[in-house]
Amino acid sequence: MHIMEGFLPSPWWEIWILVSLPFIVIGLYQLNKLVREKREALPLLAVAGAFVFVLSSLKLPSFNGSCSHPTGTGLGGILFGPCIAAVLGLIVLVFQAVFLAHGGITTLGANVFSMGIAGPAVAYLIYKAGTRAGANTYATVFIAAALADLVTYVVTSIQLALAFPGTTGFFGAFSAFAAVFAVTQVPLAIIEGAIIMLVFKYIVQLKPEILTRLNLLSESTVNKLREAAA
Amino acid sequence: MYEVLEDFAQTNNLRETSPGLKLFIGLASILLCVSSPGPVAPLLVAASMSAAVLALAKIPARFYAKLLLVPVSFAAMSIVVILFITGGGAVLLEVPGLPLAITADGANLALLLLARVFGGMCSLYFIALTTPMTEIFDLLRKLRVPAVLIDLAMLTYRFIFILIEEAGQIYRSQVMRLGYRRFRESVHSFGMLAGALFIRTWESGESLVLAMDARCYDGKLGIPSDSRPVSVPALAGGLLYLSAVLGVSVSTGGVVLV
Repeated sequence: MHIMEGFLPSPWWEIWILVSLPFIVIGLYQLNKLVREKREALPLLAVAGAFVFVLSSLKLPSFNGSCSHPTGTGLGGILFGPCIAAVLGLIVLVFQAVFLAHGGITTLGANVFSMGIAGPAVAYLIYKAGTRAGANTYATVFIAAALADLVTYVVTSIQLALAFPGTTGFFGAFSAFAAVFAVTQVPLAIIEGAIIMLVFKYIVQLKPEILTRLNLLSESTVNKLREAAA
Repeated sequence: MYEVLEDFAQTNNLRETSPGLKLFIGLASILLCVSSPGPVAPLLVAASMSAAVLALAKIPARFYAKLLLVPVSFAAMSIVVILFITGGGAVLLEVPGLPLAITADGANLALLLLARVFGGMCSLYFIALTTPMTEIFDLLRKLRVPAVLIDLAMLTYRFIFILIEEAGQIYRSQVMRLGYRRFRESVHSFGMLAGALFIRTWESGESLVLAMDARCYDGKLGIPSDSRPVSVPALAGGLLYLSAVLGVSVSTGGVVLV
């Protein structure tokens, strides 16, 4: 859910830029360290960023035929952790704003916070908790991606409700925004969860090295998953 | 669509104008739109930016109109909510059977937002259609944005075009094999598309690492830049335009349409 250019009035767009800034700085610091240690990380992060851009500009099959798209942020959060995902999110959002007038420059802070920070952080935490608890990997990925999508839209609704409380106050405005977005976003979150789960499954079947190299799955888990599928 | 946008950015009539000036005018217009208290100044920005895109940069009108329609549906949803939740002033319209009403204040706020969004969109398209991304990277480097961020952005940018091509090929072959006929099939096919795309992307990333290493990549991408000086008349024109918009914004601040 991108907030359009010009939609957030002052001071809200400045506030959200300030809120997002520390995450971006931490992400850049981690990125610098990662690139210095492993040079091959940069191109691989770049392809991941491009993948998120393409995924979020493809139209998803949806019930009501509306123009909905996956955020792809859940995958980024699971793969690289929330701070680096925030940097990738920033780059993708700048491109979407400057290429497609989708999102915007002044609303960049708000969009980075909802799509690049809140969503990936939730996905990352759920994935970590799930693997530590030994839950089914695919189920964990499904829940992480679906909730990342949902959290993104809840945060967007909060941002809009804070900026436009209307006469009903914050909670009234929040439920109004949330209700309008829920029509498309709840089914969409479930579809996104299913799709990211399928993506994960294909990676495990065809190129599990990617996941073991990023320390996401141990070799034994990969072997177990592949045996279960065979 | 993306390729076409970038084609125009490379070939339009404002191509030789200093990228810094174009970016400055575009961004300053956006800021003026967002901070304008009334809807007149953003509409003026929308009109003048569209005029610049059509008359100065010579972008075909039909293509530009199609571009403007893309983000409309995204804006519409949020505007509708604002229209209903903001009360105050005379009631203009009531929805029978539901506790929903459009009031004058709500309508004014919605109009103001619509004008701001429209002005901002036109300014963004002005940047997108006249300034190639490569020149924006160059500017960012001069503005001392961290090198690692610019390198990552440049590589991401390059891969976007490759991936869109591949996603299109996979999608078309899936459609030919009737992959999107039912809803369940659609979800399955889309997951397959995304998975295949991810693996292919990753592999091309790995071969890029090899190619870059073979060319002595040491963690920095050196790109030569050419600098075009800002022409004085263009700068003067830009500043004149921006101050005119600022003047309009201040003087029409209290104007409401309804």
